Amino acid sequence: MKPKEDIWGWMLAVDFFFAGMGGGMLVIIGVVEMFLGEGRTSLIANFIAPLFVALGALLLILELGRPFQAWRVFLNPKAILTIGAWCMLMAIGFGLIYATFGIKALPWSGWVVIRKLVAVFCVIFGLVVATYPGVLLGRHKSRPFWTGFGMVTLFLTSSLVTGSSAHLLCNLILPPAKLEISTILPYLAAGLLAFQLIFWILYMWMKKTGTTDREAQAIQSWINGDASIGFWGGFLFAGSLIPIVLLLIPSAISYLIGVILVLLAGLWMRINVIHAGKTRTWLPGEERYRGRLPLGDEAFLKAWLKD
Amino acid sequence: MARYAMVLDTRRCIGCHSCTVACKVHNDLPVDMIYNPVTTVGPVGVFPHVHMEFIPLLCMHCANPPCVECCPTTASQQREDGIVWVDENKCVGCKACVMACPYGARIPNHEKGVVQKCDFCKDRLVLGKEPYCVATCHQRARIFGDLDDESSEVYRLVNQENVVRLLPELGTEPYVFYIMD
Repeated sequence: MKPKEDIWGWMLAVDFFFAGMGGGMLVIIGVVEMFLGEGRTSLIANFIAPLFVALGALLLILELGRPFQAWRVFLNPKAILTIGAWCMLMAIGFGLIYATFGIKALPWSGWVVIRKLVAVFCVIFGLVVATYPGVLLGRHKSRPFWTGFGMVTLFLTSSLVTGSSAHLLCNLILPPAKLEISTILPYLAAGLLAFQLIFWILYMWMKKTGTTDREAQAIQSWINGDASIGFWGGFLFAGSLIPIVLLLIPSAISYLIGVILVLLAGLWMRINVIHAGKTRTWLPGEERYRGRLPLGDEAFLKAWLKD
Repeated sequence: MARYAMVLDTRRCIGCHSCTVACKVHNDLPVDMIYNPVTTVGPVGVFPHVHMEFIPLLCMHCANPPCVECCPTTASQQREDGIVWVDENKCVGCKACVMACPYGARIPNHEKGVVQKCDFCKDRLVLGKEPYCVATCHQRARIFGDLDDESSEVYRLVNQENVVRLLPELGTEPYVFYIMD
């Protein structure tokens, strides 16, 4: 019996993926600019990072029940979603401004102080965009898979992993003017992947043994249930362990395969984490009750709604 | 100012779902929306003393409603009398409140693109009437009133009976109380 309950759909997960990846890319762009200077990240990456965040924002809007009223999500500064929406807007703006510094024909391309300042904002807002999905999910006390600080670390790490991988991919397409970061990026991505791998295993172990029964039940499908093949075989092995090896082999083809695997794993992770939030702390008799509700595709319901 | 609360006496509830139907009719809800389901637990006990329990569920009108805090548009609001409600004109259907509510009390209306919920029939309260589910319950399993009024039945039940709240560990402080067997 699968309880029927309306929850966030795949578009929000894909929003988290693109916005997180864009945020992670902006963090790297900003840090590299602040400490090493310009021209060390690919121009494609500089432009595509804010566009990824914009794509995430677009998906977030499409997920709404009333997309044309989307401006209203900016109105409650106490809500995490509002903070996230503002930070996405800022990340898009500062990211695009920073990217234009790479076009030498533009008069402001030589304004170093302004460029450094914009880079600082890229780091700040990129970091928030990369982190806030984890904060948003981790605060749900009644969603045992999500609840707790672990989600924050997992989403931030995944955003930085996918962000650094996307940088690597952009470097393969259009290498930056100065190449020293390009040689470090695969090691950065591999290190973050190793951290992510270890932290996910620890997260599962903590949920299984250290917290409530509800949390232990919530992760059961990931450990040895429906999602276990995807998690162990897909996400951890093919999406983390194999890319670590591939990223340590200095070859364009091995980087390309590694990056593709990392990005697919990042997407899988978000879709399945959002889906796992479907498991709520059920009230007495509620799971059985919801399991008996029609899902919407039953013949009698279709016939009824047609009239 | 009143502080509205409801007591659900599960010893009296027979699981007839009259309240569910009354609510759907009064609020003119689409077929896939239910504000106050009645769940079945059991059979409980040891033969021959076995019985079924019926648990009516609805919005708990919490003192600390997580659904209000998380709403990015301020569509989810709480009145001074404790009633948590949704201003449909402001709601964009982001479902943040659906995810935040531990009681599954918020339902997306796919026709309107907004989220809706039980509001203790505030339109009836203005007229001095009880919520429709309370008025419909022929077993008097639902008792509604002002918890700040010491002469009210809800005040007496909450203070004299062995009432419980659902998921008290979450700190939401529901204002719907249950009298269990």
